[in-house]
Amino acid sequence: MNLMKYGSFLAVAATAGLISGCASSGVRNPSGTPVTEMRADERGFVAGTGIESQDLLAVTDKMSHGILSIPQIANAQGTPRVVLDPVINETRFPINKDIFLTRIQADLISKANGKVTFLARERMAALEKERQMKQAGQVTSSSDPNVVEFKGADFFLTGKLSGLTTRTSQGTSDYILYTFELIDARTSDIIWQDSAEIKKQGLEDAAYR
Amino acid sequence: MPLTVKTTEGCPANRRSSLVLAWLTAGALALGVAGCSTTDARRQPVLTGDLMVDGPNAIAHGPTRDRVLWEYRTATAAMRQGNYGLAKQYLDDGLTTLQGIYGPDKEARKARGYFHAEAKKTFIGEPYERSMAYIYRGILYWMDGEPDNARACFRSAEIEDSDTENHAYAGDWVLPDYLDGLATVKLSGDGSDAFKRAQGSAKGLRLPPYDPKANVLFFFEFGPGPTKYATGEYAEQLRFRTPVSPVRSARFKIDSLDVPVAPTDDVCFQAITRGGRLMDHILGNKAVFKSATDIAGDVGIVGGAATILGTGGRNATADEVGAGLIVAGIISKAVSAATTPEADIRSWDNLPHYLSFACMPLPPGPHTVTVEFLDAAGMPMPFLTKTVSFDVPADKDKVIFVSDQSLTPQKT
Repeated sequence: MNLMKYGSFLAVAATAGLISGCASSGVRNPSGTPVTEMRADERGFVAGTGIESQDLLAVTDKMSHGILSIPQIANAQGTPRVVLDPVINETRFPINKDIFLTRIQADLISKANGKVTFLARERMAALEKERQMKQAGQVTSSSDPNVVEFKGADFFLTGKLSGLTTRTSQGTSDYILYTFELIDARTSDIIWQDSAEIKKQGLEDAAYR
Repeated sequence: MPLTVKTTEGCPANRRSSLVLAWLTAGALALGVAGCSTTDARRQPVLTGDLMVDGPNAIAHGPTRDRVLWEYRTATAAMRQGNYGLAKQYLDDGLTTLQGIYGPDKEARKARGYFHAEAKKTFIGEPYERSMAYIYRGILYWMDGEPDNARACFRSAEIEDSDTENHAYAGDWVLPDYLDGLATVKLSGDGSDAFKRAQGSAKGLRLPPYDPKANVLFFFEFGPGPTKYATGEYAEQLRFRTPVSPVRSARFKIDSLDVPVAPTDDVCFQAITRGGRLMDHILGNKAVFKSATDIAGDVGIVGGAATILGTGGRNATADEVGAGLIVAGIISKAVSAATTPEADIRSWDNLPHYLSFACMPLPPGPHTVTVEFLDAAGMPMPFLTKTVSFDVPADKDKVIFVSDQSLTPQKT
């Protein structure tokens, strides 16, 4: 009788374990994770040690505030014209290099109230073609197309991303220094420069080490 | 001996019931241990042997854990066909996964457990595979006129190789360092440190000094690369198969020039010099556990059966003990059977054995290069000769990628 009780108990326990065990240890998020809208300055649940949107926003916000406060822009006679010169990427992370300057430009245009104008140099090919068509009389023109009206730059806005990386059995550490500067196109003086630093560390699961 | 040995106290029925219960219990527990393993709802695709068919199919419909593996393989195949847009797309996706692998990972944690195989984890590759993904992407960035992003990839390639067991082999790829320096020189920087690192890793090979005016860059790859296999009682030890390459070097002819190409990097060497992994210790522990539970199971079953049979059914307590031992033994065997110490041998199996590089200044306009791959005797292997026609632009570098597996002729 004892044996029967013992056996029955074991069998019940095993069956319960079988059923409950399987129920609790399936694939996590078997249907995936729904698309989650996040703020661009928010650190998401998918993260690496590289350059991410929250870094972009923090850095470009700081830079656009800095540019607006310099006397050459704030107290300029007339409207200074700025050309974007692609940033130099010296980090170990390939990036879309235009994205930093594009955001600074958008930020400045929206906040500067006309104190600064940007020149669309990356559109020069299309602009030249349009001008040539006007000169050839293929399209109408509201002014003399033979007079050069493309404006020259007063300043160049550019930057550099530099990185330091350490990787050991304890994890990976990435430090990135973001430096931006405004250069006087006439004198080559650097009239403004600012920087921001971001350091990130991470360690992958032991299964990947 | 049959289990229905006649006894004097009506114990055969008792013994039978104890044995039946023992088997039932053990069976249920064995199912409980072994049956809880989960499977990816996406199944292994049926392979045709054509990577340009199998790759996209596996990426779209195969197990998610193998997605990066197929992206790597397909990107390489695409590069050899001159389909650089597709290669970029797959490498970008694979590298995004690789760069975001930090922190807790449910599948990786399972792969460390006793009852899940290592191959259940999301594949990102061993360090030499990760480095190769960055090297290919770097080549493609340079092709697109982005030498600084190419340099970023070459730097990441070295970083992936920097955590070797023996530090003498840490970050010892030659080409990524050399190209890091070349990109820096072309961007008006100082590439001398990178050049020194490259020269230090290039044992027995004298690297050419940088020529900032060299506007045509040739990347070569040849020979079969490393693959993985497992050894050990339970296939728990990861090993690398490094085939002897029939192609040992190359030579290319362009305009009136005939340029020899020596191997710069040996991918097989990179595979075998990483040293032990942390995961190897985990798999070793799994193997010990599997062996110990298997032996314990044998002892329990044999001991239990001997106990029951030894009493001749005349001692109910001994029968209960015997049945308990059998149950424990069977459970232990089931646990052993469910333990999976097998090493993950998923391989980026179309990598090359050797990488090499050359660059030179050429005037803008059309050119044609003929690349011969040479055997150990330095003789051309005619069926591997490739021809590439290309136009050198005036405003950026022209990058030519040639593999001994490339389609020929190509026009880029």
